Amino acid sequence: MDPYKVLGVTPQTSDDDVKRAYRELARKYHPDNYINNPLADLAEARMKEINEAYDMIMNERAGKSGAGASSGGQQYGGQQYSGSQQQRAYSGPNASLYSQVRQAINQGNLGMAEQLLQRANGRDAEWFFLMGTVYYRKGWYDEAARAYTQACQMDPSNMEYRTALNNLNMSGGYGGYRPMQEASLCDMCVQLAICNCCLNACCNAGC
Amino acid sequence: MFGFIRPVKPELRVKEADRFQQVYCGLCHAIRARYGRFYTLFLSYDMTFYALVTGADKADTAPPCRKRCDAHPLIRRPCAAPDGALERAADVSVLLTYHKFRDSLADEKGPKRALAWLLCRLGRRGYARARARLPEADREVIAALEDLQALERDHCDSMDRAADASARMTAAVVPRTGDDRERVLRQMFYHVGRWVYLLDAAQDVAEDLEQGNYNPVVLRYGLQSPDLTEIRQPLERTLERSLADICMAYDLLDFGRDADLVRNIIFLGMPLVTKQVLDGTYQTNGGWGKHGSL
Repeated sequence: MDPYKVLGVTPQTSDDDVKRAYRELARKYHPDNYINNPLADLAEARMKEINEAYDMIMNERAGKSGAGASSGGQQYGGQQYSGSQQQRAYSGPNASLYSQVRQAINQGNLGMAEQLLQRANGRDAEWFFLMGTVYYRKGWYDEAARAYTQACQMDPSNMEYRTALNNLNMSGGYGGYRPMQEASLCDMCVQLAICNCCLNACCNAGC
Repeated sequence: MFGFIRPVKPELRVKEADRFQQVYCGLCHAIRARYGRFYTLFLSYDMTFYALVTGADKADTAPPCRKRCDAHPLIRRPCAAPDGALERAADVSVLLTYHKFRDSLADEKGPKRALAWLLCRLGRRGYARARARLPEADREVIAALEDLQALERDHCDSMDRAADASARMTAAVVPRTGDDRERVLRQMFYHVGRWVYLLDAAQDVAEDLEQGNYNPVVLRYGLQSPDLTEIRQPLERTLERSLADICMAYDLLDFGRDADLVRNIIFLGMPLVTKQVLDGTYQTNGGWGKHGSL
């Protein structure tokens, strides 16, 4: 592995620019962007590669300058993300079934999770949340939004449901793309320009 | 496919715009060489995108050759040199075009149905050849198409379920390399298919309401009038999610060539078209009237 190629820089690139290139890539491949994405494992591998490349370059340069100090750049993506951080213990008639469903979802076995959910007795908030997660993984975003909304309505105090719905509406984590924003940004410029014109006109008239 | 996938020309570099035209022409010539003139009539920008993405793992671009064609009989135009990716894109193009005829034959009534029948007859031989080259893809496309037709018959009100059947067709035609690249491409083209299907449904709301045709967007939101302002936000959000997934798949793809051109289409072209369709300002040939030129 050529660490410079991985970061898209050359041995002549300054430390600051290497750091900048690293940050840019780390933002792109951050695991938070790939929550519930079927390609999450590939992004994780990329992230690992980027971290290693950055360490190699920084260690090499530290060695050369004789300082021997550690690279000092904070690493991204080190912590394991587990979707169950905010999970509240569920105690209902379907408790054991739902834990099986969660397991199936975590293993990426969506067909199994769906089958298990069909077997549940009654449909409570947790059912809609899990169904929403299955839809989310499949890329059925409208159905996922519907199911998550239903879960939130049935149990408004559950933070896990609320976070899931917010995540969905935010196009995947904070670093996620908002492809439409670029397209509508132009609108805002135009609006600002118009406001500006109006203000100028008003002021001029007033003076 | 419907021609929603195109670059934003003002943002392209000159060489990228040239390259897009060359691949478009190269695809046309590949189709003609393999399947005859008939199928070149159904050439689309969407398939040009497909050819670009599936061929992008190659490291170098052969210098373009110059060829005459029916649309430009006097001047030899520069064309991308035929390679494996273009030939495969030609096969896929024929396969999907024929299945689109079949779909119209099943859906349409009256003169449109007669036209679809005629196109099916004319396209049959080319399809047989494409099927022989891509047997697995063909089987998957047929299965997905049958699901889609069943959902249409049942007036399925789930946008995702209907879009899934359509998206499985575009996911089915990616090159079967059996590695991570195939996984990434499948994910990318699944969401390309989903996006195209839903956007096409949004675009056809007025027409389908008038004629009483099946339209998943109409059924999902219980629309009575063709006005999209009420549902614009949720619709945009769900389309945007697919676009984000396409972007993320793009980031995981290794490019040897055409990375910036594909980037322009995905990051600028597709969001712009989404916006135009939802605004009602989308035009099929928005200033691109001339054949083969941007």
